[in-house]
Amino acid sequence: MLLAVLLPFIIAIIIPFLSKWKDKIHPGYFVTIIPALIFIYFARFLGSNFEPVMREYSWIPSLDINMVFYLDGLSLLFVLLISGIGALVAFYSIFYLHKSEQLGHFYVYFLLFMGSMLGVVLSDNVFVLYSFWEFTSLSSFLLIGFWNYKKESRYGALKSMLITVFGGLSLLGALVFMTVLTNTTSIQEMISQQQLILNSEYFPLILALLLLGAFTKSAQFPFHIWLPDAMEAPTPVSAYLHSATMVKAGIYLVARYSPMLSSSDWFFIIVSSVGIITLCWGSYMAVRQTDLKGILAFSTISQLGMIMSMLGFGTKVAVFAAVFHILNHATFKGSLFMVAGIVDHEAGTRDIRKLGGLMTYLPITATLALFGTFSMAGVPLPFLNGFYSKELFFDASLHLDEIANVGVVGFIKMLLPYLAVFGSIFTFVYSVYFFFGTFRGKSHLEELPKKPHEAPIGMLISPIILILGVILIGLFPKWINEPFIAHAASAVKGLEVQKEIYFWHGFLYPPLIMSITVLVFGTVLYLSRKQWAPVYRIIPGVLSMNKFYDGLVDRLETYSSTVTKGYMNGSLGRYVRLVLAAILIVTFAFMAITGGFTVDTSNLADVSLPEIFVAITMVIAAVGTILTNNRITAILILGVVGYGLSMLFVLYRAPDLALTQLIIETVTVALFLLVFYHLPKLRKKEEAASTRMLNLIISVGFGAMMTMIAISAHSSKWFESISSYFIDNTYKLGGGDNMVNVILVDFRGLDTLFEIVVLGIAAMAIYGLIRLPGKKEEK
Amino acid sequence: MSNLAALPIILPLLAGIVVAFIHKKTKIVRILSQVISVVNLIAVAWVFLQVQQNGSIILETGGWAAPYGIILVGDLLSMTLVLTTNIIAVACVFFAPQSLSKHQEEYYFYSFFFLLVAGVSGAFLTGDLFNLFVFFEVLLMASYGLIVLGNGKVQLRESIKYVLINLFSSMLFVTTIAFLYSVVGTVNMAQIAVRVQEVEQQGILTTIGILFFFVFATKAAVFPLYYWLPRPYISPNPVVSALFGALLTKVGIYSILRTFTLMFNQDVQLTHTLFIYLAALTMLFGVIGALSTHNVKLIIAYNIIPAVGFMLMGIGIFSEVSISGTIYYLVHDMIIKGALFLLVGALVYVAGTSDLRKMGGLIHHHPVLGWMFFMASLVLAGIPPFSGFIGKLLLLRGGLAQDELMIVIVALISSLLILFSMIRIFIRGFWGEKTENPYPERKRKAAKMAWPVAILLSFSVLLGVGAEWFYPTIQSIAEYLMDPQIYIDSVLKE
Amino acid sequence: MEFIMAILAGILFTTGIYNLLQKQLLRIIIGTGLISHGAHLFILTMGELKTGKPPILTEGVENYTDPLPQALILTSIVISFGVTSLLLVLAYRASQVNGTDNMEQLRGNDYE
Repeated sequence: MLLAVLLPFIIAIIIPFLSKWKDKIHPGYFVTIIPALIFIYFARFLGSNFEPVMREYSWIPSLDINMVFYLDGLSLLFVLLISGIGALVAFYSIFYLHKSEQLGHFYVYFLLFMGSMLGVVLSDNVFVLYSFWEFTSLSSFLLIGFWNYKKESRYGALKSMLITVFGGLSLLGALVFMTVLTNTTSIQEMISQQQLILNSEYFPLILALLLLGAFTKSAQFPFHIWLPDAMEAPTPVSAYLHSATMVKAGIYLVARYSPMLSSSDWFFIIVSSVGIITLCWGSYMAVRQTDLKGILAFSTISQLGMIMSMLGFGTKVAVFAAVFHILNHATFKGSLFMVAGIVDHEAGTRDIRKLGGLMTYLPITATLALFGTFSMAGVPLPFLNGFYSKELFFDASLHLDEIANVGVVGFIKMLLPYLAVFGSIFTFVYSVYFFFGTFRGKSHLEELPKKPHEAPIGMLISPIILILGVILIGLFPKWINEPFIAHAASAVKGLEVQKEIYFWHGFLYPPLIMSITVLVFGTVLYLSRKQWAPVYRIIPGVLSMNKFYDGLVDRLETYSSTVTKGYMNGSLGRYVRLVLAAILIVTFAFMAITGGFTVDTSNLADVSLPEIFVAITMVIAAVGTILTNNRITAILILGVVGYGLSMLFVLYRAPDLALTQLIIETVTVALFLLVFYHLPKLRKKEEAASTRMLNLIISVGFGAMMTMIAISAHSSKWFESISSYFIDNTYKLGGGDNMVNVILVDFRGLDTLFEIVVLGIAAMAIYGLIRLPGKKEEK
Repeated sequence: MSNLAALPIILPLLAGIVVAFIHKKTKIVRILSQVISVVNLIAVAWVFLQVQQNGSIILETGGWAAPYGIILVGDLLSMTLVLTTNIIAVACVFFAPQSLSKHQEEYYFYSFFFLLVAGVSGAFLTGDLFNLFVFFEVLLMASYGLIVLGNGKVQLRESIKYVLINLFSSMLFVTTIAFLYSVVGTVNMAQIAVRVQEVEQQGILTTIGILFFFVFATKAAVFPLYYWLPRPYISPNPVVSALFGALLTKVGIYSILRTFTLMFNQDVQLTHTLFIYLAALTMLFGVIGALSTHNVKLIIAYNIIPAVGFMLMGIGIFSEVSISGTIYYLVHDMIIKGALFLLVGALVYVAGTSDLRKMGGLIHHHPVLGWMFFMASLVLAGIPPFSGFIGKLLLLRGGLAQDELMIVIVALISSLLILFSMIRIFIRGFWGEKTENPYPERKRKAAKMAWPVAILLSFSVLLGVGAEWFYPTIQSIAEYLMDPQIYIDSVLKE
Repeated sequence: MEFIMAILAGILFTTGIYNLLQKQLLRIIIGTGLISHGAHLFILTMGELKTGKPPILTEGVENYTDPLPQALILTSIVISFGVTSLLLVLAYRASQVNGTDNMEQLRGNDYE
């Protein structure tokens, strides 16, 4: 199983080399083989006596991150979809993408995606799942940006990445949370220890984070906005990622965690209402579109909403219908995307206003579209799989027996059937519109960039296979029910789910009445669509989430710029003030909180006059550096402070220091004067009084703080200094009389060595500064 | 045997001195430097393995036992960081000839470079607080030398700010050491740790600890002390920026990590809560900065700051898991920041501008550069399975285990914004219409610039995918840090 | 006496920082000079001021002042000297190349 997941990645590495010969043979042929092989590998598991399989491969055991693959009914459904549709799409793409395109890139991203998606649905380890999850987002980003010379592609790519990675990080938060609570990284073990999570005080947050991840990925309202823009990707990609597989990762996640979460009322409330709103909003928006792929994008959103809401219901019927619809949706929507691609390819446009009457030119395509759209609309015909799952959906919305009747839950429960019908009416409208608008009616051949003709047979094979699936599942639902769908549903529900699928339940079967209502109202709405045009123009208007997203992204940049330029203005004075103020405030706060300020006068030296005298001189001199306007005076006064310091060194019995300080002070003053000579003349410009005040407060505050800490530190001499060792051993071990010297050259010789290094570096730097010519301009 | 601990300092020190004497012979210096760097890396790797197998190496310099003499402590943490430093050094020294002017090479670039490495390694290794100050000065002085190298107009202007801020924090540092000396009567870190434990009244020690924190935080660029960082970091040559971005702030973080696990671990409630809040603000303001500009170099420089926030977060949470997260992140961030600064140097070189608004479609001419940049962005944003993810995951786990919800959420949001700030460069700079290559003649040199970056990037991938080879080591370091007694016993063998 | 010295050192810090916050480069450097004097005085004060003879071994003297702070100051003095010299030359070059020594005019913008 590891090989099955890693195979796409391995081939992805080889593809760039294969694509060197793309003039001779289209690399798509190689790529088609891979998913086909994977499909065959997993198809072996099909059968009524299927049992879940667990495989472990160690990766980072010390962090409890291992490649643990768990194949149950749900995973099996997904891996077959991913590999099956993957093979069909790869084959289709051979005819769709011309050899002049960057095929190598395309197929690398394609395989990366396939491998990651397989990883997502097979991983039992949450962090492995997360890794693959982010990789699906990234490969989707690269595929949407495949034609990155188009502005729209770049926009769509960024949008999808920001939204899905946002969701991914939120998911990561939820996964880490659950890991910490249950102390395991395995999904199955988390489910078996669900009480730890359900009873945690953080449960609402975990649920919210997890669902955010699922909703963003599966384009649920209001995060659906990235999906329509993702249609900038080549059509095979849209068919594969943005309809059949990747967008279902969120659905998968919710289904995977259903056994644990569905016992919570919050799960029902959030998931079913978000799902049903998405269903209605998506199908309504789809009616407004003029781009074929636009219609399909919103249609996908709406269908995902439907599946999501069924998972939210959580009843046996609903869960069964949900997994059944996952399969059905993949078949008819995949084929419709391919149809849209064919129309685009052969007629040169996807704008439905310019299309029409293409049935005569593309008869096979039109037939495929007819089956696809009618299945999507849920027209009650026995050979359309879409009808079965749609009817089960209605059935599920009516039979929420496991759900309480009170409060918010009861209210939502009451509304659900009506909303389900409402959303489905629009589904019917856009499905019919898609078919009739494109293939029936008057043709406008003069407006088309190309003269339309039927697609090459290679391009038709994949959609034909999918439509065959639509018909066969419709005619013989039993074939896939027990060996396949039932296992998946049981995995989601956490217990055995069995459901017979029938076409005919009698006339007074309520779901059938709902279907007929949809049919009638839908037909009326479609026929009178010109009258409704004003409504479609007004709504959504301000409700558009796109405006919110655009505004957010724009503002993120402008606000950050405003904020950052506000304080990072390059002014040294500003920086220093902010830094010092921060240190000052926090340190004082800490001193106050911890009672760090102590005074102990017992251990002090006597106050003596000469020292006082020197100190006063130094204070006067130091203040003088501020007051004087003459810079030579300031430099000389600084010298006074330095000499004062060496006087103090003398008084405090530090002869070596005094000597050093004396010499260095002299040299420094000389240097100051030398440099001063070259500096421009002083242009006196007064600072604002407020700035001066602020400077004064900060500097006095800082001085006071240092003094206070010094006094406290001096008052807290709790230990004998290690100096006594130096005093005792200077002669004995160091062989010298002068302790300071012995410390410097012997006890702490390393300090002195590097002190010399510092001086050496300074010398080199100064030499470079002086010798190198200055560059006036540099980038 | 114990002399090995000095090797990572002495080798670059000697190299720095030797190349200073023959600085005019650029070609020889160049090759010599490359050879020495590689030799040094091998030597350090060997010492690292020794430490990993046999435990810490303690060197009493001059034969004076702790706490009286200066000791070098080659423990696993120090050696890990020294090893990472040398990996970056090797990448930089091979990148340097492509990017430096003849003048810059002649005027002691390689000397400053080696002495910087010596200073950084020394700071990681020393077990003496005052000696840490001295090594700080060595690395700072070398960085001053590097930042002014070339005497560009902007460069000189930004250097002054850099030197002044660091000078101030050095003075604060040395004063704070004196305060601490007054209270505990020693400058040996192990002995300070012992004595701090014995003190009942912690007030003054906590206050002194906070001053130390600010000293290191200024170097590490923690909120609100990072203002000085972004612009001075981008004004010198890219290879200098890479050294700064990869090494200097990390020395600050290392010092916080060391001092606050070893010595100031008494009032955890107070100090580490402060760290968590500062970490959150550091992350947020850092990414906001990264989003605020169109200058690609500046975007990378701002991205140093949120990474510091992540590392501080781990120290603030203060559990074994979170500390190992900090260390993992530290190693990861050193490598990826080095790679990114070099990469952006190459990017600016081939684009001829650092303004994102003037770029576009570069991937058509420089696919390798483009894809490396894309990967580096993922690594930086902590996308699995690269190195950033492992560190981030540990930090998140540690955070949630301690109920530190706020910082975890901030960390997640910052991750998204970091990715946004980086992918903006990829989309606007590399994607786009294929236009005429403005500097076709620069392609050859750009290819030469690419491979040191590739080496660093492959380390990043290895550090993520092969986490199993590294994590146990990092985990044992975290365990070791959380139990300061081990350090104390190994230094003061009594 | 120690308290007086601590206050004196505090005042040196205060005046140093005040100078550091000015616009003119020379004043700023004077500020750093004052701050390092203050720092050294603090270190000296943190040893004990009152007791003992200079730390040079002499016959019959038992009581010496603490030699360690003195050694530390010595190292620090030399290092600050190196930094200050570099800073001065840097200031000279920077103002020469940029044509001003007013830090407020040396702010710069993003795209240089």
